[in-house]
Amino acid sequence: MLGHAVLEIREAQVPLLSAMLLGGCAAKLARILRVGSMDAGLGPTALFPLRLRRPVAITTCAVEFACGVALIVTAGGLGRGGPATAVRLATSLLFLVATCALIELRTSHPETGCGCFGEFSRAPVSGRTLARSAFFAAAALGTIGLPPLRAPHPGADAARLLGIFAIELAVIALLSPELGEALTRLGYSEPCELRRLPTVRTLAALRRSSQWRKRAWLITTEVPVDMWRELCWRYVVFPARIGDRATEIIFAVYLRPHRPVINSALVDSATGEVLAWPAAPARRRRLFAAKPLWAGPGSAGAGGVSADAGSDSASAPRGGHGPASGTGPGPGSGLGPGGRRIPAGMLSAPSDPGYHIPTVMREPPAHSSPDDLPFSSDL
Amino acid sequence: MLDVQGDFRCCDRCTGNATAVRASRRRMLKAAVRTTHDGSSDPEADQAADFPTPGKLPRAVTGTVRDVSPHVLVIGNGASETRIALTSDATAWRGAPLDPSGVQPGDQAVVRLRPSQRSVADRIWANIGRVTGVIIEREADSLLVDEGKTKPRQLVTIPGAASGRVQVRFPNLEPGYLLDVIGVRRPGELEARIPATSQPAYPVDQMPTPPMVTGRVPAAISGSATWHEPVDEPPGLLGVSYPALDPGSGCAEDPVGSVAPQFVRMPYLAVGSVLQVSNDCAKSSCTLSVTGCAAIARLFNDRCVTCGTSPRGRIADLTQASFIALGGELERGCFNATITIGR
Repeated sequence: MLGHAVLEIREAQVPLLSAMLLGGCAAKLARILRVGSMDAGLGPTALFPLRLRRPVAITTCAVEFACGVALIVTAGGLGRGGPATAVRLATSLLFLVATCALIELRTSHPETGCGCFGEFSRAPVSGRTLARSAFFAAAALGTIGLPPLRAPHPGADAARLLGIFAIELAVIALLSPELGEALTRLGYSEPCELRRLPTVRTLAALRRSSQWRKRAWLITTEVPVDMWRELCWRYVVFPARIGDRATEIIFAVYLRPHRPVINSALVDSATGEVLAWPAAPARRRRLFAAKPLWAGPGSAGAGGVSADAGSDSASAPRGGHGPASGTGPGPGSGLGPGGRRIPAGMLSAPSDPGYHIPTVMREPPAHSSPDDLPFSSDL
Repeated sequence: MLDVQGDFRCCDRCTGNATAVRASRRRMLKAAVRTTHDGSSDPEADQAADFPTPGKLPRAVTGTVRDVSPHVLVIGNGASETRIALTSDATAWRGAPLDPSGVQPGDQAVVRLRPSQRSVADRIWANIGRVTGVIIEREADSLLVDEGKTKPRQLVTIPGAASGRVQVRFPNLEPGYLLDVIGVRRPGELEARIPATSQPAYPVDQMPTPPMVTGRVPAAISGSATWHEPVDEPPGLLGVSYPALDPGSGCAEDPVGSVAPQFVRMPYLAVGSVLQVSNDCAKSSCTLSVTGCAAIARLFNDRCVTCGTSPRGRIADLTQASFIALGGELERGCFNATITIGR
């Protein structure tokens, strides 16, 4: 009875070891794909000079993959005898070498992670990491000399095998510092100030918003002249025209994936004065409510003044970082944050090529000064 | 022979007049959308948003020494000349402490003026230079250092006299490791004299993971503030290069499609954002605009020990003029700083 149980435990090691090896290889590959370089390795590769790290990382990954696949291929009748024994010996050797390398790594590079599961294995090598590697080495040694594996009979046999898997996975989980890291990442919600949200999504959200539908008839180009981000907000600037007056519309879009809060303001391009929103002509209002499009220069009406505050959502985010908490000159003052008048040419700055947005160029007035930033000579 | 050409390209992200224009324009437009939605702003916050007040912070003058006598220093910058008085308590530095009259014509000088007397020199740094980057090649005592895609590669030589001092703080002078040294500018190279920090133990491809931040990012962040040499910046610019520009438009060094390495989790900002930078050692502060990207600074998880020990990580890379205005000593390399964002 005991002998049969030991045999079943030994048999369970083959698929488990294979899964661990293939999982480790996949995690390493995922990290390489994410970082974009083989050189950016972790773990025992740190023991090698820089020029050797890349080949060592490639070899480790390849050996893990080969052993993982070979363990499965030779588990049944196909690998009976010599091939199965050779593969299991190689796997045992791999884990024994890994254990020794981790001991060395812990001594010489105590701050370096083991890199066993790529990105997840950044914690410094600990006793648990060493114990896990030794456990795998013992498990691999235990598979040497096993007869070809058979599929378990449904019922008691299968249940016993599942039980063995469950217990062993629990032991591996206990010995794995990566599990805590993975659980932390699963439950982690990034603050909006650190959230990465592509500009394309911001523009898509803006163009779906009611703010856009209300203002689109004033906008004279389809592409923004400037776009930038601060904390939880992304600011998008479009040129606009009210009659003969050149203006700019600035949208502040809150950085969240769905239904972001959007605020907007209308500014005179020449003076920097904040303007009231003109009322859209009735016909245009219907047209742009149905399909927001470029209105074309000089097509806007400069009718009555709207008292619309220009906010897209009633649920404006609270907190100190954003347009709701800002500082700055009062509307219509035409002054910059330092209390200095913003030269008119500032409003005609070219867009940032980094956004891949076509530049809308306009000549700044002759009297404008290009350097509104403070200089040491101002002190 | 080490190749210093590299693939240097100065793109839109280099600080120049175009950046200055964009920065001020963005501030104005942001203020417009804020005031439209919030009405009048907080007067105290308005006060805090003021840029440096004339007469309160030290001013820096940069240029080439045209003439020097025991009492007068003449600094030239293009066609203009500035005459600066030298008093007995003025000090100077050119690789080591020096008598101010020992500065030579032709030296590139950074002069700190007294806040109260604008024509009197307080301190002079002659031919001071700094290289902060990743070592990409080594040949005997020469190192080729990559300072990022928007700056040219730098050749650093370590003379025998400074070798011990540098290697105590930078034991791994091998490709892949970080270097930050201050020294004397020679044609085409920097002669290292002082280590500006202690070398991080990791190569750049094995940076430690920053701790995960939950909840709101604090408005005030403490760490180390350093300075950089101007490449394309207007002389005397008061500005700061920030380590966490928006990935959507950020540093030229940002890897495509992945997260840029960063030790300190800092909120994303853009060129033109306003920071209040405080020197925790000199107890002075002023509001500065973000004028560039500090791509290399974010690789350092070092501490500044100018006064006490700062939290790990570089939070601001200041222009020389800003560093001096905030009371920093260039040859020390850093000061303990706190930045407050959005005020």
